[in-house]
Amino acid sequence: MSTPRPPRRLRPPRERDFTSTLRGPEVAARVGLWLGVCFTVAFLTGVWSHLYQNQPPWLTIPTRPVWLYRVTQGLHYLSGTAAVPLLLVKLYAVYPKLFADVPWRRVRELVLHLLERVSIALLVAAGIFQLATGVANSAQFYPWSFSFRATHYAVAWVAFGALVLHVAVKLPVIRSALTRPLGDGERPGTGLTRRGLVRVALGASTVATLSVAGGTVPWLRRLSVFENHDGTGPQDVPINKSARRADVVSAALAPTYALEVVHGAATKRLTLPDLQAMPQHTERLPIACVEGWSAAGDWTGVRLRDLLDLVGAPAGSDVRVTSLQDHGPFRYSDVRGNLAYDPLTLVALRLNGSALSIDHGYPCRLIAPDRPGVLQTKWLGRIEVT
Amino acid sequence: MRAVRLTLGAAGVVLVLVGVRLLLARGLPDLVATVVWLAGGVLAHDALLAPVVVLLGVAMLPWLPTWSRGPAVAGFVVLLTVTLTAVPVLGRFGAKPDDPWLLPRSYGALWLVLALAVLAVVVAASLLRRRRSGTGAS
Repeated sequence: MSTPRPPRRLRPPRERDFTSTLRGPEVAARVGLWLGVCFTVAFLTGVWSHLYQNQPPWLTIPTRPVWLYRVTQGLHYLSGTAAVPLLLVKLYAVYPKLFADVPWRRVRELVLHLLERVSIALLVAAGIFQLATGVANSAQFYPWSFSFRATHYAVAWVAFGALVLHVAVKLPVIRSALTRPLGDGERPGTGLTRRGLVRVALGASTVATLSVAGGTVPWLRRLSVFENHDGTGPQDVPINKSARRADVVSAALAPTYALEVVHGAATKRLTLPDLQAMPQHTERLPIACVEGWSAAGDWTGVRLRDLLDLVGAPAGSDVRVTSLQDHGPFRYSDVRGNLAYDPLTLVALRLNGSALSIDHGYPCRLIAPDRPGVLQTKWLGRIEVT
Repeated sequence: MRAVRLTLGAAGVVLVLVGVRLLLARGLPDLVATVVWLAGGVLAHDALLAPVVVLLGVAMLPWLPTWSRGPAVAGFVVLLTVTLTAVPVLGRFGAKPDDPWLLPRSYGALWLVLALAVLAVVVAASLLRRRRSGTGAS
């Protein structure tokens, strides 16, 4: 090893130019452990959410507890937010590795080195991509041309797979770093210690989480300076898409409005007074948005199964509910038999004691237990047994 | 250990391939846009954020008294990383004129409150360190 001399010309840095002992496996392994927990929670809750939205035929999702999706999607949003500071500190700890010498002369080593670099590039690229797109989506900011939902889902598999692969490659380094004392080989500096940096990473992660947690954990609202919804909205429940943006105002207010209930050749048309004349039920159910916020409301309306009985549908039938919107990705949604015939599943006409506002889906909307907000179809025009 | 590593490694590769297949199924325009954003994220960190942080450290830390360097770096890490999570709400890029309930807060003012709170903690921690170390010299 030669003593470093001041370079005569500007050149790219080398791994050994980074002299701080803050950077290295001791901090990387400890912060990485928490980051791994966040990524795992975000991946599992994300796949869970995807299964709700693209329910495969073999899967019947239980309708209880009514708040399950609210919790899993809240966890998804919070674990992703918590991961941002952890990822940045983790990248700080390993940044010199980017400038590590490439063993150009030794073929076997070169192949392994390049494979590892590819796997790390995948992990870093997919990790940053998931956090950046997820955080932007929660504030309804879409500065890209790809479909958010499909792409965020696909890259999630890349990110999580690359993480598992990374753990496999680094397992001996991780084990050794975690079993050695954190301060092992640390040169005392004037600034942060390794212990301090790990604590700061966890602290920053906590602050980031608290800054948005109120959107889904109401008693934390006072601390949540950066939440995207503060629990207010028409009739005290937030909305995600207004009637005007869904281009549905005139259809929803049309005096000729009637809800069509269809089973094969049998069709029943129900006006709003017809619906109001049926037995009404009030249930307290959460609306849990995929974008992280959630809020509970008292919904009043007709049980979906009562409507299906009017057209003689066999109990437990699968149903498709369609909105009056004539475009939009969530114009209709499918309701499995177990959910369609659940006594808590309503075609709601009222919310929190007053008639449904147009932004909540007037004249009527679906509200069902344990279901993503985007599938709680608003401005219902048609209910069809499938 | 070896068996665990091989199993994990194989599982990781399979999971990545699942993701790649899903991406390929999206069609070329989506795929190109995704690759651009994937690469852009890495560049934004490796070529912009990380070097700027290194340079800031080299430029700023010598100016600070030694007893305040630890707290100052800690405050910087908290404020920088939390601010990055708040960029979309601070910029109000997704605000909709017909939805006043989306992005309801004055995020800029709240960011200032957060920054002042972090600064207050940094100053308090620095003064505490100076008293403990007993060296008043800066």
